[in-house]
Amino acid sequence: MDIFTRGLWIITGIGFTVSIIKDKEKTFRSMKMAKGMMKNMMGQIIGILFLIGLILTFIPPEIIKQYLGGANVLSSSILSAVIGSITLIPAFVAFPLVGSLVDLGASIVPGVAFLTTLTMVGFVTFPLEKQEFGFKFAAIRNSLSFVFAIVIAMVMGVFI
Amino acid sequence: MSVLKVFKKNMMLSVVVLLYAALFVFRTDMAILSLKNSSYYIIEMLQIIPVVFILTSLIEAWVPKKVIMNNLGEKSGIKGPIISLFLGSVSAGPIYAAFPICKMLLKKGASIANIVVILSAWAVIKIPMLANEAKFLGPKFMAVRWILTTVSIFIMAYVISTIVKKEDIQDAAANNKDEDAVSIKRQYCTGCGICVKLLPNLFQLKDGRAAVKRQPLDSKEADVAKVVWEKCPTKAITMN
Repeated sequence: MDIFTRGLWIITGIGFTVSIIKDKEKTFRSMKMAKGMMKNMMGQIIGILFLIGLILTFIPPEIIKQYLGGANVLSSSILSAVIGSITLIPAFVAFPLVGSLVDLGASIVPGVAFLTTLTMVGFVTFPLEKQEFGFKFAAIRNSLSFVFAIVIAMVMGVFI
Repeated sequence: MSVLKVFKKNMMLSVVVLLYAALFVFRTDMAILSLKNSSYYIIEMLQIIPVVFILTSLIEAWVPKKVIMNNLGEKSGIKGPIISLFLGSVSAGPIYAAFPICKMLLKKGASIANIVVILSAWAVIKIPMLANEAKFLGPKFMAVRWILTTVSIFIMAYVISTIVKKEDIQDAAANNKDEDAVSIKRQYCTGCGICVKLLPNLFQLKDGRAAVKRQPLDSKEADVAKVVWEKCPTKAITMN
């Protein structure tokens, strides 16, 4: 187990112990919530993890380097940002997904664009957002988030 | 549940399983290779998934969100964006789960800028998720992305607050106002049943989610309903 996983287990272990001591009832209720969340998302998570295996087998690294590599970062980032805006997958399976592509030689820039729009820009949830906050708010927030996703990705490319 | 329903509910998994099945028939070697390629990620994720969910739930249970929210009024000043960033970061669930809560905060006097910070932080920054990001993409990647995202969120909040005014949002809300005094937005309801437990006269569970049984008859009943409205964890209940 790597240091991040171990760290997370230790912190959670301490939190859980303190929680049990302070309020048993509340702790059990929150564990029920954890179970519910996990049940809801597990199918999707496992599906995507197996999909990674297929991608690694079928898409040769040369192709990934060609399309997601360093050469045409801007266009591949915009495309990745568009894909991120319309996809609905749990954010945290996106990390291994992007990680596997980076290992194959993809640039991190489109990966970051995808990760950011995946959660911040919601094409599917736009009608809901419009209903709650009005068209102006929803349109401006989503388009600004899209632009910033590209900016963040580009700056990341310089730093890492 | 019929096979089709199970398939539809687990679209992603079902499609992948079918792909694997076909592959096993035609190219067994490639199917085995794919499984091997996946196995690293599956083992790694199985180690971290339970802990992410447990930590998320513990944070949800113990962080006193009510206290935080009460500090988000118009006079919150410079502290406002920081509190908003924290509130968004410790909350569980996808961005749309934040819509009704932000709506309620707006009603209570939170500024547009702070609402944008909450929504964005809610979407991108999750404390248990940061560990997962560091694990698969490296701690430097995670830290730089966190800093850049936080800065972007504050800039976005400022820009949006200069363009969108509170009237714009209130006008939009007026357009889809319900006639009824009490209503439930079923898309946000998680079926926790608190409202049904507290006010079985007015609320009932229907297909695992709350529904309005009947409207409050007098102002006294409306006052009680208001208490329930405050208690609803996802703010799925709306009151006019």
